[in-house]
Amino acid sequence: MTVFKTFLKILNKNKFIIILYTMFLIFFGGFNMQTSENNTNFVASKPDIMIVNYDEEKGITKDLIKYIEENSNVVDLKKNEDAINDALFYRDVNYVVYIPKNYNKDFMDGKNPEIEIKSTGDYQSSFAEMLLSRYIKVANIYQKSINSEEELISKINETLSKKSEVEITSKLDTNILSKATFYYNFANYSIMACLIYVICLILASFKDIKIQKRTIISSTNYKTLNRQLLLSNSLFSIILWMIYVTLSFILVGDIMFSIHGIFYLINSFVFTICATTIALFIGNIISNKNAISGIVNVIALGSSFLCGAFVPMEWLPEGVIKIAHILPSYYYISNNEILKTLEIINFNTIKPILLNIIIILSFSIIFIILTNIVSKRKQKIG
Amino acid sequence: MKNVIEVKNLIKEYKEIKAVDNLSFEVHEGEILGLLGPNGSGKTTTINCLLSLLNYSSGSIKIFGKEMKPDSYDIKSKIGVVFQDVAVFEELTVYDNIDYFCGLYIKDKKLRKQYIEDAIELVGLEEFKKFYPKQLSGGLLRRLNIACGIAHKPKLIFLDEPTVAVDPQSRNNILDGIKKLRDNGATIIYTTHYMEEVEIICDRIIILDKGKILATGTSDELKELAKIEEKITVEINELQENYIEDIKKSKNVDEVKYTNSLLLVTYTKGKNNLVELMEYLKENKIKYNKIYSERPTLNDVFLELTGKELRD
Repeated sequence: MTVFKTFLKILNKNKFIIILYTMFLIFFGGFNMQTSENNTNFVASKPDIMIVNYDEEKGITKDLIKYIEENSNVVDLKKNEDAINDALFYRDVNYVVYIPKNYNKDFMDGKNPEIEIKSTGDYQSSFAEMLLSRYIKVANIYQKSINSEEELISKINETLSKKSEVEITSKLDTNILSKATFYYNFANYSIMACLIYVICLILASFKDIKIQKRTIISSTNYKTLNRQLLLSNSLFSIILWMIYVTLSFILVGDIMFSIHGIFYLINSFVFTICATTIALFIGNIISNKNAISGIVNVIALGSSFLCGAFVPMEWLPEGVIKIAHILPSYYYISNNEILKTLEIINFNTIKPILLNIIIILSFSIIFIILTNIVSKRKQKIG
Repeated sequence: MKNVIEVKNLIKEYKEIKAVDNLSFEVHEGEILGLLGPNGSGKTTTINCLLSLLNYSSGSIKIFGKEMKPDSYDIKSKIGVVFQDVAVFEELTVYDNIDYFCGLYIKDKKLRKQYIEDAIELVGLEEFKKFYPKQLSGGLLRRLNIACGIAHKPKLIFLDEPTVAVDPQSRNNILDGIKKLRDNGATIIYTTHYMEEVEIICDRIIILDKGKILATGTSDELKELAKIEEKITVEINELQENYIEDIKKSKNVDEVKYTNSLLLVTYTKGKNNLVELMEYLKENKIKYNKIYSERPTLNDVFLELTGKELRD
């Protein structure tokens, strides 16, 4: 209890650091989540099309114009090429359709007249092109077998008016999953930085050679004290994990009550264990409190950048991803990314997640072994 | 008298260097034993060996009649140590620091509270209980260091140079505290290179150099080892060489030195050396400002034994 009480007192002196990293998580994680919301919402839109008609407005020509008007925003501009080019440049219009003279007559005669276009080349113009080519393809097919203009127009309209019912069977809320993934990816930094900072600061105090000497000569078994210290650190890590998990329940509560949520929890818990072992290892190596801040920046910030905690992994260069494989953060973030897109959860689909968890735990074991080696060497004062 | 510590033929080697060279000594119950020696003489190494902080090459150490080992927790429970370097938590207050170190020995909360209050009173830190180490002066920090080492009321206390870099007021306070501990029944081993402190508080002294015991005894016993018995210092502005030669020829004179207007005459024995010297100066009409006589110090003894001064 003596060690635990002192641990708490030192922790209390460093509470500012815990609050700081938690605020980072709330603000930056929250900001990321906001960005994610903007990216995944869809808004219905129509392309802006200008029609330059040199034909008489009758028959197929009239019907084509009607079809375009129904499926796009028709823009009315001066029929001047300079004005049209300017409008395209400034994106006032996405697509310009030039219907040639005698288009209706030539089409009915089976001459397959050409329609000229001008396009901005963006996705809106692609959509406009799709509309136009759809009409012409359908019209061409029917024109070969139907001679009557009225009947042809009627058939074209009948075909184009047919709609397919599309039912999205997936109940996966990708928006909320993206939010959860953003939160837990950012938590990589907060968990790691906070644990390394606080545990190293506390260990630097307890493992100070002068205090260690005084502790070794006391009547309390040094191994017992070390065990108490390890327990205190572990307890702190679990409490920190619980705080961050509670925050995730507040921010993305919907997903946290699902099976996906359970995997986010397991993944983050395993990562917290690993981050604790890393912190204990570093805490046993360094004794200079002034160096801790730098170490936190190098390890927590560095691994967060390299492994895609702040920017999506797919944006990172291949070389960086390769390097990231040597860091436990990579496997933690990979799991979060897998969870974001995981439709069905069964043994086969969670296999890569389990494999990553095993890798993270292996990292933990390696750091525990290294910590033991360092600790035993340091215990020999003389 | 009961021995609290018995050391026999203790040797500690670092590769080819003998830091402690065949030391044998005893510490009696209730005494303050001073380990006196210059820096690097082996004082701290000896203490570290006694506390099992260091493995020693050969010899035996018995504390409270039992062999001292790293896992001798029953012996350790009766020992308190105040190291040369201040060992406290920067993040804890004065009270919390003492509480932590006392808590390593005393599990009972009520008793511990009482012990902490006693320790604070002993070192005079009543007004600084809620202060953090950074807020304390060097002297107060040393007092806190002592309180952390002795709060659990140990029967045997090791004090390793506890007054290094301490102002005179704090030093007196610390020395008074050490005497109080002895009066309360504790046995104390006190290491220092300040001979004045040793003379003031130690019942017995061991003079160490290069890991070896040069002499053991009380302050008076050690001073008898010096071949001189009296030192007379006279402040004279000008003194001709023939007078110096005359004084050298006087009865019981061992050595005469005249530097920086100070005449230093050492005597091997004799009772009226001062009177005789004053008469000689008067007869020869030699004017002087100050004249005073001193007994040999432990530094003189050390000089006698090693040919160098304690603070070299």
